[in-house]
Amino acid sequence: MTAPVIPPGGDTRAAPSRPAHRLPFWVNQRLGLLVLVVGLSALFGAVQPTFLDARLVLFPLVRDVSALTVVALAQMVVLSVGHMNLAVGRMAAFGALFAGLGYDRLGLPLPLGLLLCLCAGAAIGALTGWIITRTGVSSFVVTLAMDFALLGLVSLLYSALTENAAFTTKPSGLAELRSYSLADICVGPVCGSPAIPQLAQFTVLSLLGLGFLYGATRIGRELLLTGANPAAAELSGIPTGRRVVLAHTLSGLLAALAGFMAAVGTGTFRASIGDDFMLPSFLGSVLGGTLLTGGVVSVVGALLGTALVGVIRKGLDLLGVGLESLNIYLGCVLLLALSADRVRTVVSHRKVVRST
Amino acid sequence: MNTVHVNTIRDRGAAALRRLSRSTAMTLLCVVLIGYLALGVASSGSFFEGPSVRTFLRYLATPVLIGLAQMAALCVGQLNLAVGALGGFTACLMGVLMADQGVPAGVAVAAGVLTATAIGLATGLFIVVTRINGFIVTLGTMTILQGAQYGLTGTRTVDGYSAALGDFGRAAPLNVPLVFLTALAAAALLAAFLYRTTAGRRLLAAGGNPLAARLSGISTDRQIVLAHTLSGLLIGVAALTATASLPGVNRSVGGDWLLPSFAAPIIGGVALTGGSVAVLGTVLAAFVMRLIDAARAQFSLDPSWVNFLIGVVVLGTVVGGRIHQSHLARRGGSRGGAPPAPPPAPPPVPPRSDARPAAVSPHPGGSG
Repeated sequence: MTAPVIPPGGDTRAAPSRPAHRLPFWVNQRLGLLVLVVGLSALFGAVQPTFLDARLVLFPLVRDVSALTVVALAQMVVLSVGHMNLAVGRMAAFGALFAGLGYDRLGLPLPLGLLLCLCAGAAIGALTGWIITRTGVSSFVVTLAMDFALLGLVSLLYSALTENAAFTTKPSGLAELRSYSLADICVGPVCGSPAIPQLAQFTVLSLLGLGFLYGATRIGRELLLTGANPAAAELSGIPTGRRVVLAHTLSGLLAALAGFMAAVGTGTFRASIGDDFMLPSFLGSVLGGTLLTGGVVSVVGALLGTALVGVIRKGLDLLGVGLESLNIYLGCVLLLALSADRVRTVVSHRKVVRST
Repeated sequence: MNTVHVNTIRDRGAAALRRLSRSTAMTLLCVVLIGYLALGVASSGSFFEGPSVRTFLRYLATPVLIGLAQMAALCVGQLNLAVGALGGFTACLMGVLMADQGVPAGVAVAAGVLTATAIGLATGLFIVVTRINGFIVTLGTMTILQGAQYGLTGTRTVDGYSAALGDFGRAAPLNVPLVFLTALAAAALLAAFLYRTTAGRRLLAAGGNPLAARLSGISTDRQIVLAHTLSGLLIGVAALTATASLPGVNRSVGGDWLLPSFAAPIIGGVALTGGSVAVLGTVLAAFVMRLIDAARAQFSLDPSWVNFLIGVVVLGTVVGGRIHQSHLARRGGSRGGAPPAPPPAPPPVPPRSDARPAAVSPHPGGSG
């Protein structure tokens, strides 16, 4: 499901002039990530058998990874057009606010509240994209300002609309959505794994949707081309302005979905939802192989990158590494992974050059 | 030859100053003055009295310094996300050194500032050696430093450290706190460095046009390292003023520095793509943000208003600046629509060499 404009492979510089199959298979970042995730899970499971406990450890782990994968996808969509979205967390909080409002004040059923949440996220994303295209100001600045504005606005709205800064009304079905896993869905005598929460359905849907968008549709290609070279895209007749707005709208929509998932996971709709989304959003997408400069995305990579971070976090937590050291390790992992990636591409590039 | 060169630089500097005084800095100065007067009137004069002025200026020192620290990184086109984490870590390091180890204030402060500078240097070196985007590297160092800060202090608040540093934080000859004077001195030194010295000029050249700078014999790598070191040094000084003016340091110090550190330079008129600085503008923008905070306290509003208003001000500034620019361009009649926003990162190597942006002629479509 990797969909770069240029042939797949780690190195974009080697790609244009040489066929992709010349690059050795181990340059594929996704494969390395998959091996790492599986290997680390096995290692943690061997050292600490409780790590493989389906209900107590794997279920919350997969639930967290599901929500954070959607966050990483929200970042990935804007990165694909060469932009950034620093307001992912706040857009998530904004969406969750509307879902909570719908349940609390309007008495909406669960799906309609989710729909309202998604519409609010898409609207705020579209507004951001519109400001960026109309003014031509860097997306970094606009989303930063948006982050500030929403940070204030969401808290203000919560304190104006609620008594203790949280919506606690739970529509029917919310508790089930929160705690049900595939084990609760049975087809005849066969039941699913208790480790996979039902919330993961949203992640699977967004993964499939984005994979289809980038892999098989014209609009997806146009998004990537807009990111790879805006001027060339404009000259090729692509409405780059509209594609940028589309990317930000999708990002807002996915961020709101992630906010909804996080709110369902914790059980309340609060202003602090999404506070810690920014780091995972970049970690997941960039570790997965999405380029910050635009034009190259990896939908599966976002899932694998987020899963790697989640596994490391949970594993170290179970091994008794304190909360304070956890961040140190995570930062080191990020820097090491990216350095290793760099070394890998340089080495493979040299090999390719030597063999031609 | 040499004198001509120096003269053009000076002329260009003077022209830039003139332009600056006509637009951003002047506007900001007016906003600061009007806002200050309005606040004074609204508080029926008590805002002009000694204690209010002292408090106002004391808590202005750190925002000014972190804005300048971000600006130092921005001037070569780099973003420093670790501003808050590094500042918080350094402040906690100073506090722990003084309170737990009994190190004298002077030594602890020197150690803190040196550590911050060294971390800035290491960040710069890492970026240059690995060629990873500075945004991601500082995101990584931010995470590491947050962990280290938590490791230093845990959940406690370190207080009761050196009385000398507390006195430094409280001292205010003529109602102007020493910490604020420290920030102003740092700003003046930074301005002198950037506008008057060859090294500063090189920094700006590398930020404005890396290719041209490299062709004229300037090592852009060295400028990136220098910019991050400078940023680290300024964050060290910011940690000093924060430690001196706060009653104690804990793990939440620096947690809310990141957004203001970007807001000050952006409102002050610094371009994110590098090559332009506005020391005065950044200082004045920090003033404006502090005024918003003071007004919030004056009318006892929800603290969330501050973030909301700052967001609106930043958006208004960039949108207004862009409208002003396109207005000028239209008067010049040379430009079509505004081009799409370039990514803040250095431009990617174009995948196909025959589709260079250089071949683009002014196109009527555009987006503006």
